[in-house]
Amino acid sequence: MNVLDILITYHVAFLQGLRVTLELCAVIWTSGIILGVLLGVAGAHDPTGWGRFTRGGSFFFSAIPTLVVLFWLHYPAQAVLNVVIDPFYTASLTFSLVNIFGVGEMVRQAVVDFPKQYIIAGQVCGLSHRDLVTKIQLPILFRQLLPGMMVQQVMMLHMTLFASLISVEEIFRVSQRINSMIYRPVEIYTALAFFFLLVCLPINVAAAYLKKRYTRDMSER
Amino acid sequence: MLEARNINFSYGDRQILKNVSLSVPTGGITTLIGPSGTGKTTLLRCLALLEKPQGGEIRVDDDAFNYPWPEEKPFNPPWPKLTTVFQQLFLWPHLTLRENILLPVRRRKSGDINAELESLVEAFDMQNFIDNYPNEASLGQRQRIALARALMLEPRYILLDEITSALDVEQIAKILAHLKAMRGKDIGIFIITHLLGFARHAADQVLFMAEGEIAERGGPDILRNPQTERLGQFLSMIAAAS
Repeated sequence: MNVLDILITYHVAFLQGLRVTLELCAVIWTSGIILGVLLGVAGAHDPTGWGRFTRGGSFFFSAIPTLVVLFWLHYPAQAVLNVVIDPFYTASLTFSLVNIFGVGEMVRQAVVDFPKQYIIAGQVCGLSHRDLVTKIQLPILFRQLLPGMMVQQVMMLHMTLFASLISVEEIFRVSQRINSMIYRPVEIYTALAFFFLLVCLPINVAAAYLKKRYTRDMSER
Repeated sequence: MLEARNINFSYGDRQILKNVSLSVPTGGITTLIGPSGTGKTTLLRCLALLEKPQGGEIRVDDDAFNYPWPEEKPFNPPWPKLTTVFQQLFLWPHLTLRENILLPVRRRKSGDINAELESLVEAFDMQNFIDNYPNEASLGQRQRIALARALMLEPRYILLDEITSALDVEQIAKILAHLKAMRGKDIGIFIITHLLGFARHAADQVLFMAEGEIAERGGPDILRNPQTERLGQFLSMIAAAS
């Protein structure tokens, strides 16, 4: 059985696994980007309240391995609370928190470190607050944050593989199950790599387009 | 008239400006000279209403700003009627030089601003780089753009901080000629400069600043016949250095 045979024979299982992975990503990316940006902006404007919360959360989730948090929320937390939660939700919550605090800290730092002189130059030129934000601050921040944000989202996609360890039927778990039946690790994991390339390709194309459209080398020449 | 009365400004325990008073009339050029580190840029930032001094008053025509400014009181400086070109220029890096000039002016003016820009482009010899980005332009080119950005706004008072430091003699001559011509438009020009020649030939008022105070003031003739020992020393040092 070659890779193509495996893809054809098990396409239903692979597509179901891919669907779960993409659903997981949709939750993680949406919550991470929307809530992360809001958290970052709040953190920049309120350094002692939201700022500390963002920095603390970011430190927590970068210091403790995601797998540990995932297992902690899946096993002991549910045992202590005496509840049984669908592992998909547990994985979604864990990865979303990691993404929200990762994006939040990235945004907070970018807003705090934003060169104030560009704002001052706009103020003395009579630009309104709205223009300062929409024409100066947001475009510069967007260009600064875009590459890091894209990398973070691809990392989150890769992180969804951990969900297989708490029985989420995502694509890695599906691949493992097929492998346990036919034992063709090289072909199966090649097929898995193919799926990841398939998902990452549009992200990379979008990243390349956005980079070309919005970012440029702003260093002095 | 742009006026400062008894301005006191400190960073922590260090007093930068000590009871500084001056006036910048419209239709004239006021130059501020003095050694480095004596508070010239801080004074300009106070006049530009970018710093809030601990004491004194800044008046921009009928708008009075009395310090110390109460924290709860709204602060609404009359920008860009009063505008500033900084030594560091602060051009927006994501916009071309043309867009840097047009962004603020589009919000304030209707009519053919492009024609107005083109005449300024020609006057400042900017045709070859106007569509570049700031990081693709030399410091001298950026200085001309920053000045053009301010001039397009038709301010009543323009404050310039060492804006000719990276220009060659020919470019300095062009810009200074333009500044001199602006006097006729009833604009008040305040310029920090090390170009004593410019102060001598174009300024209506010369202020010499030393140790946070205006140590001497008068017409350009004070640069030939200084009345204070401190200005005399400064001029001698400049003459020796050149």
